[in-house]
Amino acid sequence: MSEQLTMRQIVYMYLFISLSQILRQIPSALANEAGRSGYLSPFWSVLVILPLVLVILHIIRSFPGLNIYEIMLHLTGKIIAKFILILYMLWIFLFLSAKINIYSLTLQFTLMPKTRNDFFMQIMLILVFYALYKGEKTIFRFSEISLGPIILVIGVLFVCALTRLRTDYLLPVSTINLPQTVKASKYVITVGGNMIIALFFADRLGISLTKNQVRKLWLGALIFIVLSFIITVFTFGITGASLTAKLPFPFYITVKSISFFNIFERFEVVVTLICILSDFITICIMFLILMKLIRWLFALEDKWFLFVPLAMIIYYLSYLVSSTQFEHDFIYKYVIVNANIIFQYIIPLLLGVICLLKRKHIKKPY
Amino acid sequence: MMYVFGGLLIASFIKQKDVLFSKKRNLILFVLLSAIGIALGAINMIRPYIPSIAFSLEKYFK
Repeated sequence: MSEQLTMRQIVYMYLFISLSQILRQIPSALANEAGRSGYLSPFWSVLVILPLVLVILHIIRSFPGLNIYEIMLHLTGKIIAKFILILYMLWIFLFLSAKINIYSLTLQFTLMPKTRNDFFMQIMLILVFYALYKGEKTIFRFSEISLGPIILVIGVLFVCALTRLRTDYLLPVSTINLPQTVKASKYVITVGGNMIIALFFADRLGISLTKNQVRKLWLGALIFIVLSFIITVFTFGITGASLTAKLPFPFYITVKSISFFNIFERFEVVVTLICILSDFITICIMFLILMKLIRWLFALEDKWFLFVPLAMIIYYLSYLVSSTQFEHDFIYKYVIVNANIIFQYIIPLLLGVICLLKRKHIKKPY
Repeated sequence: MMYVFGGLLIASFIKQKDVLFSKKRNLILFVLLSAIGIALGAINMIRPYIPSIAFSLEKYFK
């Protein structure tokens, strides 16, 4: 009972882990791809993210109380399920290495440019170990408690920033740019796909999904899209699309020009802290998922002995994957975005289709 | 950092030896993952400025 999670915790976790990418990568990527009209791209992403939510709900309802591995065992058999687990493991290794890298690059860009990035990584791994030691429920509760104040802070920033918004940076939007906004929406879709964490923790949600839980998942997806849109609008409206495209953390520069009635300033430190917390929780959750994947793959009973070897691999892999901001931007744009689409959309969609085709043969465990 | 990780691996091994020796696959997995980590660490120590995967991919695409 104490290991049970609620749908609310899953949704809060989803929004929390998406925050750093919404503040950092999405505005920059949208500006690069679609220019001034890039802020329309979150609306196009509705067409993909909402069906993903439908697929996830369908899979969870068809197999109540089971996680993604157990579901795959029923749908595809043991060999294919284990093969897909190996692919997911490789994806998470890449994702985690890049995430630790971007977290240290963010701290170097914003607050501590002279500190070596291995120092940041070491501190992060110690904190991740401590968080994992406390249990996954603690991590979910942390995101549940922290998300509210963070959304409030972002709301206050927006209220203070309204007077600095320049409509000439946002309008006019010509129809010539609309195809580019559709193409750019993949950068929002790739973050919105974090919703699949629900499948990895579906066995902790209980036997049946209530209407309230289903409503929360839909609401979570909509809040993500609205948040992406608002952050992008404010970043473009204050900093401008051309400068946003060139910056690794454009919202940080946007917030530098915001003050609270000319009394309180320097909110950029708060924004950096929000990003770091989001990165920290993302690393914790991905580490948890990685250990779960290894436990399922090798049918282990305990997984704690895996932490130090995995931490070592991820630490050194982060140097091998990318070492500078430019390299990270390249690997994010050409590898991680496409890999995310495969693992967050295509594989769950295939599972959903198989689930639909086999629905008459599915024997529910409860 | 390699020596710190080495020490942590030994400490982890000592602390979790009951779990590691309870099943052969636990020990094999621990040794395998540690070997991969040590290999990556050795590469980082011997050639710290080795071109990254991103750099190599960028060069290949161009």
